[in-house]
Amino acid sequence: MKGIKKYFKYDNVGILFVLPALIYMLVFVGYPIIYNFVLSFQDVTVRTLRSNVKEFVGLDNYINLFKQDNILMTSLWNTLFFTVVCILFQFVVGFALAVFFNKNFKFAKPVRGLLLIPWMIPMTITGLMFKFMFSTDVGIINFFLRSLGIIHKNIDWLTNPTTAMFAVIFANFWIGIPFNMILIATGLTTIPKELYESAAIDGAGKFQTFRKITVPLLKPTMESVLILGFIYTFKVYDLVYVMTSGGPVNSTQLLSTYSYKLSFEMFKYSEGAAVANVLFVILFIVSSIYLKFIYTEGEE
Amino acid sequence: MKKLLSMLMVLAMLTTMMVGCASKKDGSQTSSDNGTGVTQAADKNAGTTDDTADASDNASGDVTIWYYWETEGHQKALNQLVQEFNDSQGNIKVEAKYVPFADFKKQLSIGASANELPDIVIQDNPDTAAYAQMGIFADLTGKFDVSNYYPGPVNSCTLDGKLYGVPFGSNDLLLYYNKDMLDQAGCQVPTTWEELLETAKKCTTDKVSGFAHSSVQNEEGTFNFLTWVWSTGATAYELNSEGGIKALTMVKDLVDSGAMPKEAINWTQGDTMNQFISGNLAMMLNGTWQVPTMRQEVPDLNWGVAPIPMDKQQASGLGGENYSVIAGGNEAAAIEFLKFATQKEQCLFMMKTMGYISADSTIAKDQFAGDEVYEAFVEEMQYANARGPLAEWPEVSDAISLAFNEVMTGASAPEAAAAKAQTTIDAVINK
Repeated sequence: MKGIKKYFKYDNVGILFVLPALIYMLVFVGYPIIYNFVLSFQDVTVRTLRSNVKEFVGLDNYINLFKQDNILMTSLWNTLFFTVVCILFQFVVGFALAVFFNKNFKFAKPVRGLLLIPWMIPMTITGLMFKFMFSTDVGIINFFLRSLGIIHKNIDWLTNPTTAMFAVIFANFWIGIPFNMILIATGLTTIPKELYESAAIDGAGKFQTFRKITVPLLKPTMESVLILGFIYTFKVYDLVYVMTSGGPVNSTQLLSTYSYKLSFEMFKYSEGAAVANVLFVILFIVSSIYLKFIYTEGEE
Repeated sequence: MKKLLSMLMVLAMLTTMMVGCASKKDGSQTSSDNGTGVTQAADKNAGTTDDTADASDNASGDVTIWYYWETEGHQKALNQLVQEFNDSQGNIKVEAKYVPFADFKKQLSIGASANELPDIVIQDNPDTAAYAQMGIFADLTGKFDVSNYYPGPVNSCTLDGKLYGVPFGSNDLLLYYNKDMLDQAGCQVPTTWEELLETAKKCTTDKVSGFAHSSVQNEEGTFNFLTWVWSTGATAYELNSEGGIKALTMVKDLVDSGAMPKEAINWTQGDTMNQFISGNLAMMLNGTWQVPTMRQEVPDLNWGVAPIPMDKQQASGLGGENYSVIAGGNEAAAIEFLKFATQKEQCLFMMKTMGYISADSTIAKDQFAGDEVYEAFVEEMQYANARGPLAEWPEVSDAISLAFNEVMTGASAPEAAAAKAQTTIDAVINK
């Protein structure tokens, strides 16, 4: 009796509570990840999918991918470019809006609520909407630009390799603003009002208060927003698939769309898995850095 | 508080990661949901299949069909055919299930690795070889008489001399032209590439583009583009040849002259038809299956069809679907259904409602007696080339569609695009 009681002491009970979630994670997250890694070291294509013995080829799939016209490098570069540009703009605009709506004026709260809508709309719908808006002849964006006299000839946004990436980034930028804005706005409310008051008494200007109080106190929030945003943007799939499917001529091909294409359009399952793993490893590293941030801050 | 917040953050992050990693598995979950009924049916019959395989009189049980036609009329036609079969006998119960085209290959691949497949699939003819190579299709050699069928459709069902499917029905491509627009520009229907380019340029105004065909970077675009390559006498596997480069240059000239809108690289065949019936296109390449829609939507439009303008020889692309039976499913009952569905009366019903040409030349010959437009399509069948059959056709197709997209967008010159595509194609063929 005493033994059982001892067994259910604080720490052990904790393990029991964690167990269901842990088992769930192992089955639904751990297994697919491991399976995906195994798959990427085998030669599984249309010819071998159903055979019982799958040839182990080591790193061949990865080597092949780097050799094949380097679409892997193109999509890796595209993904990085897409992510960095999106995050940069989302963050700046989101930050500005958060500071703006932090002021107490009429309608500040309802309008801030309305701005959340882009975040709530399903990605595929947003994708279709932007595809329509960016279309060359009937798109509203070309119509506006023409009416304002900025352009004289319609721009072929989605069918030109140089502008397609810009169009896709713009769509994702629009989606991501609310996410940045809300998290930063929440961070702003945690800064004590007294600090601003005493700064004002000491004669600090607007810019000085922003630089010396707001920014340093918001640092942890900003780190989280940036890293979560990176993870979220890096694995974007539906938006790009709907708008361009990676084209034209792979100019918007991302790691996620390339992986899907290899696996389910070209039946090269192992190579598709290998691309997915490249994506996974990068995200894993970023996530680890993030976790380390949080733990060191917690210890301070 | 801070600890709680960070815990929440970690949780949020893990969930996002999970979504990322699990997205691939979503499909398999849905497929197993869809597939349970199928597996049960297959299991139930697993014992009897062996005994009944030869004695088809005893075939019984449930049969599931997967198909991807999104048009309502097509779905109704298939359901009616199935109903008729179910009413005609009491042992076999057939059920047809719609799987969207975009998911079709994915569902079949996942189903193949998880052993959760239907009993019959109606699939795009160039993909048949790939699935046959996967080993999911039953060998139907000798079970159906295909000697009267057109060679193109039969070839698309054949791999290593064995028959892995029965052609459902076929279609091919022709040049559609707007008679009024051509008259206005004072042009005749073009028959050669030079005439096509000339006519397309003359018909182009600030509102109307002279010519277009679907050029999306997938199988649909490849299907349309290959008609040019075949017309030069080159095969689909010889892009870096005189003919292949000539075909790429032709498309480049069309786009560069402004006669063909560059946006066609985002147009499906349905989109292309919509542009044509809205009066934005004077000419287009499109298939047999558009005829019923066009007659219904724009009965007043003055249009006609003609053979595709040619270089050295007349050529068209062969489209259409094949029926295949899944190996290890309820084979005997599935074959019974196919025998029913390929009879003349049933076949004619399906072909007429769907705007398809029967793959059986004896049926096709007088299928559309008196209908000029359809007869032109039937006539063109003899020049229609099949894609493949090759298990890795999707890879070849991807290389070809990338090549003409590069040329149309101006990313590469025809020679460079052809050389690059050839490297990929050679690697696939010589594997």
